[in-house]
Amino acid sequence: MNSPVCHPPDAAGLARAVFAEIAEALARLAETGEETLIDLRSLPFAPTDLETLAELLGEGEVRCDLDVAGRSEVRETGFSGVWWTRHFGADDQVAVDEICVAHVPEILAAHPDDVARAARRMADAVTAPASTADEKDLSRG
Amino acid sequence: MAELATLGDRLAAHGISRRAFVKYASYLGSLMALTPSASRSMAAELAKAKRQSVIWLSFQECTGCTESITRSYGPTLEDLIFDFISLDYHHTLMSVSGEAIEHARHAAMEANKGKYIVAVDGAIPLKDGGIYSTTAGESNLETLKATCKDAFAIISIGTCAAYGGIPKAKPNPTGAVSVGDIIKDKPIINIPGCPPIPEAMTGTIAYLLAFGKIPELDHLGRPKAFFGDNIHDRCYRRPFYERGQFAKAFDDEGARAGWCLYEVGCKGPITYNACATTKWNNGVSFPIQSGHGCLGCSEPDFWDKGGFYVPLSGSIGPTAKLVGGAALAGAVAGVAAAAVARHRKSSLNKG
Repeated sequence: MNSPVCHPPDAAGLARAVFAEIAEALARLAETGEETLIDLRSLPFAPTDLETLAELLGEGEVRCDLDVAGRSEVRETGFSGVWWTRHFGADDQVAVDEICVAHVPEILAAHPDDVARAARRMADAVTAPASTADEKDLSRG
Repeated sequence: MAELATLGDRLAAHGISRRAFVKYASYLGSLMALTPSASRSMAAELAKAKRQSVIWLSFQECTGCTESITRSYGPTLEDLIFDFISLDYHHTLMSVSGEAIEHARHAAMEANKGKYIVAVDGAIPLKDGGIYSTTAGESNLETLKATCKDAFAIISIGTCAAYGGIPKAKPNPTGAVSVGDIIKDKPIINIPGCPPIPEAMTGTIAYLLAFGKIPELDHLGRPKAFFGDNIHDRCYRRPFYERGQFAKAFDDEGARAGWCLYEVGCKGPITYNACATTKWNNGVSFPIQSGHGCLGCSEPDFWDKGGFYVPLSGSIGPTAKLVGGAALAGAVAGVAAAAVARHRKSSLNKG
């Protein structure tokens, strides 16, 4: 990138400020179950600030790779209940960068409509004749 | 032709689960500064929506707006919009089909009466009965009026359709006007830019589709979600402006150090668009980051604002000596403008 670097790492203290905001959100989750979403792209982060935030949050036990309308990543941070979600668009450019404070991020759960559709499909597969059982079934849900 | 199946059913038939809607809604929610609950409800509403019929009319235009909206390299997040809409007519993309597409347009208008969206790019010439731009033997003026009659909403895509653009620039030999100058009885959303940022176009269409209503517009008819911020207030080179560090000419020391481009004609302070935040080509860059001043292309009459390389202060005053003073006054005004912009952003978040 050719843009000049105007700030040393976390010069504006933004990473630490967001870290404090996440701490408050996590306390709320612990007490009341209330979920919070923080859109990192809406904040004026310099690239080094995001690295500082990543260092502060650390890494947890869970790493998910999603393949839906392009690539996505959901990572648990070192703090249970704090997840970092990144959605990628064309050419693997970051389209969404957000911190989700929740027991499980919404995108990981199976949607009721998908489950109903899958149940019907599975019921059909159970009763299908043996010769079609090996065919690759492209339609999901 | 718009189908009876919901978007959720359509995508599921292609092997894509509801997760795609969650992902798409959080993408749009981030772009448009929606609240998390609005994003969530957008995912649910999009899955239940029917494919939106869109009729795209191209008039006095360069096709740049169509080029901008069709930048895609594979099945991606950004492509989902083309699953959500049924592009029933697009003059440039479908021109090889000749007469058949004119029939298709009339059939789509009939089948989706009161529910289709008309997207227009290009200005409309009025001089001499509108003969200076015609399609299939009909003047653009007649086509516009006939097609908009039963539309649900109209989107003026690009500065030509929104404000007249380059055809309207002096001396305006064809009598070019904007869509809003002709259509007075339908809601019009202006998405200006030369061309507009693709996300501004697709995000607005998705919003219309999910919520069935026009997003909040500013006094020039532009969605505040994309045009609520001034380039100057979000520009990463702002600290140089504040410190009075300006490039005086292209490729001088200041230019190479990435200093403020005010003195080489940047129109950032009077321009509202998402270029400094959303940027272009999926967030790669925007004119200022690439070393050229903002042209102000999302504002009316930007071609006639004194010159792309004349500084804002110089457009009204004659000498270079005025620039320093204007920059100082601008810095003071800029702080106030930034405070207003931040307040506007936070009230968007409450919506």
